[in-house]
Amino acid sequence: MIRLEEVSYSYPDGTPALENINLTVKKGEFLGIIGKNGSGKSTLALQLNGLLKPQTGRVKIRGMDTRDPSKLPGIRKLVGVVFQNPETQFVGRTIEEDLAFGPENLCLPPVEIKKCVDMALAETGLQKYKYRSPKTLSGGQGQCVALAGILAMSPECLIFDEITSMLDPESGKAVLETIKKLHKKGKTVVYITHNLEELYDADRIIVMEKGKIRLEGEPESVFSNPSLQALGLALPSVIELAELLKTHGMVIPWEKTFSPKSFAEELCRLFLKT
Amino acid sequence: MQEPVFSYVPGASLLHRLDPRTKIVAVMLLGFLTFRIENFAEIGVLFAFFFALALLSGLPMRVFFRAVKPMRLFIIFIFLAQLFFTDGRALVSYWILQPSLEGLEIGLKLAARFILLLLFAALLTASTDPSAITCGIERMLRPLPLRLLGISSFELATMMNISIAFLPLLFERVERTKAAQAARGMDFVKNPFRSVPALAIPLLRGVIRDAEELALAMESRGYQGSRRTSIHELSMQKNDWKALLILALFIIFILVL
Repeated sequence: MIRLEEVSYSYPDGTPALENINLTVKKGEFLGIIGKNGSGKSTLALQLNGLLKPQTGRVKIRGMDTRDPSKLPGIRKLVGVVFQNPETQFVGRTIEEDLAFGPENLCLPPVEIKKCVDMALAETGLQKYKYRSPKTLSGGQGQCVALAGILAMSPECLIFDEITSMLDPESGKAVLETIKKLHKKGKTVVYITHNLEELYDADRIIVMEKGKIRLEGEPESVFSNPSLQALGLALPSVIELAELLKTHGMVIPWEKTFSPKSFAEELCRLFLKT
Repeated sequence: MQEPVFSYVPGASLLHRLDPRTKIVAVMLLGFLTFRIENFAEIGVLFAFFFALALLSGLPMRVFFRAVKPMRLFIIFIFLAQLFFTDGRALVSYWILQPSLEGLEIGLKLAARFILLLLFAALLTASTDPSAITCGIERMLRPLPLRLLGISSFELATMMNISIAFLPLLFERVERTKAAQAARGMDFVKNPFRSVPALAIPLLRGVIRDAEELALAMESRGYQGSRRTSIHELSMQKNDWKALLILALFIIFILVL
């Protein structure tokens, strides 16, 4: 679906943000990208639908090169990005108008635009807010509107760039649940975060540091990699607990059970023999 | 929070349902008419016409008077200026002040004209969704060769829409910056010369960053500044043509009389 070949990018002041990145995002997968602030993950997000162009190497979306300006409308229709701050993603005075922005850019006729808007509202459960101003919503609902604004264009791939970092944990969880639902319906998801806890259900995780991919693999292999903490990332609390218990001589195999729910089940199985 | 002036009040009246282009043209024509009328009788007829339209809109009168209120000082000022500085038959004479009868007449007419202009504009904005107005303006500008100026009617319309949508965010940012500076001991009342830059510079920096983020989000959603459609369907109905016809007859009637 998305293929990056030897992509490098430096900021105008010369600081390298990405160095020789090779990455393929497969259709239908849930890819998590994690790294500290300044590790290049947001720059990577902007490469994925041509908002930034690689200085060397190539980014191809379904074979379309992002450096070709004539391909950009097609690329933007296939890949949508949701950003960190909900406030600076609203362009409309009401939610309906805001969601119409993308389809309007695709030059759809008004009847089609209304259909797209209603579909996006239904997917995110925002129907009752249709005529409200986006400014009257909470942060979590705001991010849902930003997500709906992308969904209205019916992209196949959704990129999320630290969208929960400005939300309270509860709304962050709700937004993540909506994203998982969309993934089950067949959308390709690239989820960028600095919180490993959000990536239990990812198909694949990439760990970035200083513009390079340091680790790559399924969640269990990444979580169990000893170099993870050296990369400045906190382990998910369940795994941290399991590691602490291990130092006290209590070994609970967490490799297959690292979500809080399955870890609790594993504990019960061991100690209550249920 | 205080309700903003010139705001849209949703409704389903005949006025609400007219095409925005009809209403924009009507307001322009009525504005033109306001400055062509000569005597008090005609001003009276125009006021009557406004009240008839206001009734038709089904909106409470305070919506319209709210639009005049912020301009009251200006209106009073031009009235007084005309009253005292027009030569003519003196009404009374006190110290150096000599209000004249002619001044009173000209002042009253001028004030009435400004009030009429504001009222008709309020009628447009109260009965039309702002984005429908921008959509209407865009459609009316589309045939003009704006390309020569390096912009398109679509860009203009998007600019207007975003300005409308971003005003509340701007005010919020002003409040936040104020609070942040106050927390660092800035006294906004005591020292306006130092506090204005202390407010303006972080505000500007914040706004520029917001604008950059917004531009990225817009581009990501396929915005190119070129041709785009709109969710608002504009089509001139029979009622629009009827309204314009009635308006034309009304204007001819007033100008001929």
